[in-house]
Amino acid sequence: MILIVNTTSDTSLTEELKKHTISKEIDVVEAGSMNIGHCIGCNYCWLKTPGECSVKDDYEIILKKAVHADELWVISDTALGFIDHKGKNIYDRMLPIATMYLKFKGKQMRHVLRYKKKTDFGLIITGEADKEYLERWLKRAALNLGSKSLGVYEKEELTEAIACMQ
Amino acid sequence: MHAVIINGSPRIKKLSNTDKILEKFTAGMTENGTTFEQYEVSDKKQWEDIRKAFYENTHILIAIPLYVECIPGLLLEFLETLSPKNDETEIAFILQSGFAEGIQLRCGETYLKILTKKLGCKYAGTLVKGDNFSIRWVEEGTAERVTAPYTEMGCEYAKTGGFESDKCKAFTGPEIFSFPLRVMLGVVFAVFAKSGFKKISQGVGCTKPLDYKPYK
Repeated sequence: MILIVNTTSDTSLTEELKKHTISKEIDVVEAGSMNIGHCIGCNYCWLKTPGECSVKDDYEIILKKAVHADELWVISDTALGFIDHKGKNIYDRMLPIATMYLKFKGKQMRHVLRYKKKTDFGLIITGEADKEYLERWLKRAALNLGSKSLGVYEKEELTEAIACMQ
Repeated sequence: MHAVIINGSPRIKKLSNTDKILEKFTAGMTENGTTFEQYEVSDKKQWEDIRKAFYENTHILIAIPLYVECIPGLLLEFLETLSPKNDETEIAFILQSGFAEGIQLRCGETYLKILTKKLGCKYAGTLVKGDNFSIRWVEEGTAERVTAPYTEMGCEYAKTGGFESDKCKAFTGPEIFSFPLRVMLGVVFAVFAKSGFKKISQGVGCTKPLDYKPYK
């Protein structure tokens, strides 16, 4: 299953994706109008309510889907050369997918993951950003969750992004 | 020098590891007369005051816990409300994480250079240090051992207004742990750390195993 989380208020991109993505099941969450807060860093998802976020808002819908998804694509606006805070919150709140336990993978410390399923990350940006940096960042973010980056695409590169989904 | 310090942690001040680090850091920083004012991004009521302090001062220090290889969403939300200064203002950063090796923080450190440019300021370096996860969860004396070295870094910041000195760069410690250390830590993680985490979790009322899967 391909999970697409659109944190912008523009639904035209997701309409395009639904139209042209053919080979797999696709699940679109229009998060732009949802109530999704930031990670508050409480660590309860590791130490008090393992696997569950203590912030009770609409993010739970995304988390429940993400743990079963083959791919997670976030559509995000940009700010300050990066994705904007709405996009970043989607990644920050993924922490319950990891456990508190640690291990070495290769030469670096990693968290032991909670689920066997690994979800690869793709990113579509709707504004200006430092794309080279975002490519590097997404690879690192995916690495920490045992998965891989499917790349960063500008909205004008939607066809290329769709090709990666199939 | 007068510094504006912004604690960029989304965690409330009382529980903030970054704040504990800043306590030690500012003790060193003020030894020779440097003054400061500190704000918490976690408290949205302070945001207007932080903006004012950012615009009116030229030495800004932002202390940040690493969140998914970069800055936390809440800090980003605050920074999005600022207009670029385009003056001589210098921004220095403290970037801290749970993972211990220096390599884990380099991606985040790179972004801080991009961010500084976007804010129209000059980059004054980043103090990079991992292995800080335990501060909140261990006894005060043990936490003190983790945070105490930041006092010397506070002295360094007061001297130079940044973190570009060799001493500050060496503060990070190893980029990657040696093979024998990785083997040893691997055993610690597999055997001793698990019981330590279990004890902490029971202390906060957890009744489930830490690898519990709520969404099967």
